[in-house]
Amino acid sequence: MFVLPPPPPRYTVPVAYAAGAANGMPVPIVETNNIINHPEGGCPLQVGEGTYQLLDDLHLATPPPHPSEAPVINPNPLATVPAPPTSGVKLSLVSIGSRNKTVFPTKLNVTAPPFGDGNSALAPPPVKDASKKRKPKNNIIKSSSSFVSRVIIHEATTKRLNDRDPEGLFAFANINRAFQWLDLSSKQKDEPLSKILFTKAHMISHDVNEITKSSSHIDVAMGSSAGDIFWYEPISQKYARINKNGVINSSPVTHIKWIPGSENLFIAAHENGQLVVYDKEKEDALFTPELPEQSVESVKPSRSLQVLKSVNSKNQKTNPVAVWKLANQKIYQFAFSPDQRHLAVVLEDGSLRLLDYLEEVVLDVFRSYYGGFTCICWSPDGKYIVTGGQDDLVTIWSLPERKIIARCQGHESWVSAVAFDPWRCDERTYRIGSVGDDCNLLLWDFSVGMLHRPKAHHQASARNRTSLIASSSQHIHRHRAESAGNRMRSDSQRTAADSDTASDQPVDHPVESRSRTALLPPIMSRAVGEDPICWLGFQEDSIMTSSLEGHIRTWDRPRESIGDNYGDHNSSTALETGPGSGRPASSMGSQ
Amino acid sequence: MGSFLKSFRKDVGSTAPAVGVAPPKKELQPLPMTPLEKMLMELGPIREDGSDKFFGMENYGNTCYCNSILQCLYYSVPFREAVLNYPKRTPIESLEAALAKSLRYQDPNARLEAEALAEKQKVANPPRPGQPPNPQQKPEDKDSPEYKKKIALQTLPLLETANNSDSYAMSESLFTSMKDIFESVVGSHTRIGIIRPQHFLDVLRREHEMFRTAMHQDAHEFLNLLLNAVVTNVEDAAKDPTPSKLLPADESSESLQPSSSSGLKTPNTTRWVHELFEGLLTSETQCLTCEKVSQRDEVFLDLSVDLEQHSSVTSCLRKFSAEEMLCERNKFHCDNCGGLQEAEKRMKIKRLPRVLALHLKRFKYTEDLQKLQKLFHRVVYPYHLRLFNTTDDAEDPDRLYELYAVVVHIGGGPYHGHYVAIIKTEDRGWLLFDDEMVEPVDKNYVRNFFGDKPGLACAYVLFYQETTMEAVMKEQEQENMEPLAEANTAIVKHNGFAHSPALAHVHSASQVPVPEEHDRFTGLKRAPTAPQLSTHYENAYSEKLTSSAPAQTALTSLPPVPPIPETPPSPLKSRKSDLQSRKERAREEKERKAAEKEKEKQRRKEIESSFRDRQRREEAELKAALEASKATKVEEDRRNHTENGSSKKSPGGLGRFRSISHRLGKDKESRTSLPPLPSLPNGDHSSSKVSVEQAQPEILRKPLAQPPSQPLSPPPNNHAARPSPVETPTVQPEQQDTIRSPKNDRSSHGKWRSFSIRKKSFNILSS
Repeated sequence: MFVLPPPPPRYTVPVAYAAGAANGMPVPIVETNNIINHPEGGCPLQVGEGTYQLLDDLHLATPPPHPSEAPVINPNPLATVPAPPTSGVKLSLVSIGSRNKTVFPTKLNVTAPPFGDGNSALAPPPVKDASKKRKPKNNIIKSSSSFVSRVIIHEATTKRLNDRDPEGLFAFANINRAFQWLDLSSKQKDEPLSKILFTKAHMISHDVNEITKSSSHIDVAMGSSAGDIFWYEPISQKYARINKNGVINSSPVTHIKWIPGSENLFIAAHENGQLVVYDKEKEDALFTPELPEQSVESVKPSRSLQVLKSVNSKNQKTNPVAVWKLANQKIYQFAFSPDQRHLAVVLEDGSLRLLDYLEEVVLDVFRSYYGGFTCICWSPDGKYIVTGGQDDLVTIWSLPERKIIARCQGHESWVSAVAFDPWRCDERTYRIGSVGDDCNLLLWDFSVGMLHRPKAHHQASARNRTSLIASSSQHIHRHRAESAGNRMRSDSQRTAADSDTASDQPVDHPVESRSRTALLPPIMSRAVGEDPICWLGFQEDSIMTSSLEGHIRTWDRPRESIGDNYGDHNSSTALETGPGSGRPASSMGSQ
Repeated sequence: MGSFLKSFRKDVGSTAPAVGVAPPKKELQPLPMTPLEKMLMELGPIREDGSDKFFGMENYGNTCYCNSILQCLYYSVPFREAVLNYPKRTPIESLEAALAKSLRYQDPNARLEAEALAEKQKVANPPRPGQPPNPQQKPEDKDSPEYKKKIALQTLPLLETANNSDSYAMSESLFTSMKDIFESVVGSHTRIGIIRPQHFLDVLRREHEMFRTAMHQDAHEFLNLLLNAVVTNVEDAAKDPTPSKLLPADESSESLQPSSSSGLKTPNTTRWVHELFEGLLTSETQCLTCEKVSQRDEVFLDLSVDLEQHSSVTSCLRKFSAEEMLCERNKFHCDNCGGLQEAEKRMKIKRLPRVLALHLKRFKYTEDLQKLQKLFHRVVYPYHLRLFNTTDDAEDPDRLYELYAVVVHIGGGPYHGHYVAIIKTEDRGWLLFDDEMVEPVDKNYVRNFFGDKPGLACAYVLFYQETTMEAVMKEQEQENMEPLAEANTAIVKHNGFAHSPALAHVHSASQVPVPEEHDRFTGLKRAPTAPQLSTHYENAYSEKLTSSAPAQTALTSLPPVPPIPETPPSPLKSRKSDLQSRKERAREEKERKAAEKEKEKQRRKEIESSFRDRQRREEAELKAALEASKATKVEEDRRNHTENGSSKKSPGGLGRFRSISHRLGKDKESRTSLPPLPSLPNGDHSSSKVSVEQAQPEILRKPLAQPPSQPLSPPPNNHAARPSPVETPTVQPEQQDTIRSPKNDRSSHGKWRSFSIRKKSFNILSS
């Protein structure tokens, strides 16, 4: 694959497309189509329960550069001009039908009140027809926006939408400056229902609102490299722009998620370390931090959260709804707990911060072994948090115990995405999947039994934690400035001091040494492509990954399971492919 | 051997007649500051530890391998301190005096005229080397590194070093010439400039045949050679005068500046290179026949790791410790069974180095092509690192490292290309060192060299240094803080110079300098520290100033010729600066002391926690080794000395033409005021003797002074190598004289090797 180039001059001139490349991959000159491959020999994933067979490999076409954007060719490999942020292909999957999403746990108690509950300013305006969802204002096809370059709608979109099985999966995918809407249940799944080409910005993260979805309405929120946010309703092809030209926050959006249970609110993580809550229907307004009698500088938001605008603010006519500054570090990802009370955020500085986002406080800060954290997810029952990072580790944390449970070693490069497979989880054992820059897909099983391995382990007392949760946000405000000052001086003893004294500060958990932490090996490791994998998703009938260069791969779950003789209590019996049957003991962590 | 600072000149890059031409020119534009200059604006006084010096290095044709490695080593704080302080630190006064006399500051007007002239010339004829092109006025030129380097070479002070090894009481070697460079950078009064490492290269080429050609060299090979050479040079120097290997001692170590900011203040023994870069590998081999496990330890100064596509440094290191079967042609000779047997082998790190130099083996021999080939694998490296492949009994197996330097190779193959270094400086963030050019870069820039970006630039050697979680968290808090960066951008806009906003992030760390410093120094004239910066800034607002060039300009603007050694600078200028510096030095001295003490304190606190454990162990050993009474006494002596020493410090006034012995005499003068160590001869010595004894108490001092003052202590195993202090008095003057005879006997020293993780080549066991 490597050809020795001729002796270059001291500074070599890269190939012409280089600067126009996204993630180092070549950008074509003309618009091309998605391609479906059925690789011969496939890429079987062999696990205890059977073999996952590669169904197909859908390669999304990278769009050519925008005509107005002549690729900037910088012949200097040492040029200090930063490359604009971009992202590998990620998918947002949605099924309009009543696909059973919560196989495990069988019932989940959501006790948390809705976000912003109690703030009358946030109460939704009276809706005339509750069943009719509000659409964004602008028609994307007729738009003359300089933000959107072109929209390509499949000629038979309406027909395809009418004919399809409502249970089928839609997928939204970003690639370079394009954003595609795919119907994965369609026979022509390589042909997007629609494709938006943006002028300059790359969509970095996107999410579908699970509450508002219907056969006539899907709310998609996307965050771009320019910081702009795009609210897109694909069925009517309407859109609205939020944080237009970065008026509220000009740094790139790294992650975006609808607040669970909310029709209108979503959180965008910006690269400058801010979490911003937006309302899809509100207009932008120039944002000035609403700080309670203290300046921005006086607060060191290193471990605690700096509320630049509270959800309880009465000023809720415009966006943003709330703004929280976590750090001066890039936020990579965040995830809502299944009980909708907690928000777990991972950052470039290698911290995992556990927030009570309803109360707008940080509860706990955990640290990576080293390097930044890149991805995060919650176990379906909300008991565990799993992170992946630049230490090549997948790390399991226990929420009730507030401590590290195990480090999972097996990746050969940075981990880029982690996910639980709820169809293979029960009260005792959990299945985790992870993908990384090493192009590998790894599967891990960990059992509750393993968690009780005797380990000398000290942790912050429960007393502090309860007081933490109980403490009001007002309380935090008052003390933050002072304790920030103290923190600067008492750095060396900070970890010790924290767990004892600072009752209103988040508990900062020190890094646990290797000798005291369980190490979990993978049950399966497989190179699934030739480019880094950026996203991983588990479906009832499949495992899916997507890669930097646009390969979306789908594996069917094993059709016959070894352990079929005993019924699986948690997976639905209606599954066509019959996955999720009993798990043989051999598939558990072998440690 | 000639004066230490052969020449330190201001190269204005303009001819004298040009001055007459330039002023009336209307199109003369204020010269925009380089990003580095901008970053260094509004800095306090220059520090004595060299941490705020940002010198480029001239490339003499494919010598970038040397430049990039030297820069990486310079910015390793403990290494720099050790080099400066071993065998002793040249007294800062004499250094400064020499520099102050010869140093002339850039006249901004002259510089502008040079630019104007250059522009004119450029229009007239295509730029030739040695001709100053027009700096940064044309935006399209701005990014060309060649261009920036030319400008740098034309406008920045050039610093040339000559052999000063006599004053270190060592024979000329790679180490002494590196020390020459380090010392003159530290002693210089400007923050920026260009080093001409000609002398260093001369020594290198004289002693190592392979570097004699003007060919492209391997930076990692050079690093390894240099570290080995330093080990050898230092050990030779320590050994030669006293074959009994009793005392490579140095009394002047007491006169060390309290300025050294790292824990490793003094290189107490000759083992300081080992203490920094050396780690210990253990290879465990289990014979599959008799199941006997045999172990073997080997030291390494750096680690070479094999690469795989789409992997990480972590993974490359982990592969190293993966079990390996020794079978077939590669069987293991088992002493137990007596014969070649199949065996399982694994390599682990038993002792972690303080500075971990990781060589990514990008040049691989390919059978097909019958030559080395460059691998463009994507290998990611995190900003922080811990090692997974340690033995169970390793000390501090969870040691946290931070990436502080990356040597990047640009080019398609091993036989050509270019090296640059990207280095995290103590408080100025990340900088790109590309020969003569030094430029601040964004932290994210460091990640451009994983190997997947176009342009053939890949990380080749990574330097990780030990750090603590506390230090990391503190740093992270300060990262990306904008206020100052915004201020800078505002200025930039005034200058009408497009400045990438992303670069502003670079200034993140610029708030770090203690604010008190500013306050304290407001009364101080800052001209000598960063003269052209401030004046230049003003100029940005008034073009008029630039057109009316003072007469001085004519005097100082010399033709752009290479610096002429031994040429006295223009008398007017030098006298002036001398006066200035004299006055200021007295004041600065005090301030600096205080500031540095404070800094030292802070730093110590940081490091302390990580070394608490080690220290405890260390202390226990020390107690056993030394009587407590003695320790206290010497400690007292030392304290007395530092007090006396600081009060004794007279303003420099030493010209650069004064001989070395002069400087030593002065040194001695201050020394005699100290309560002498019992064993040391004091009184009259010829200069040579002085330098000899300087090598002595070095050793003495360490164990004694250590417990209270040194958070960083060497690993315990050093004690064996350290001569007992009791033996100090046995040194006779006659013996001391032997140090002067140049000795190049290196044969008795085993060379340190870098260990290759490609295990097939690693054959310790079979040897």
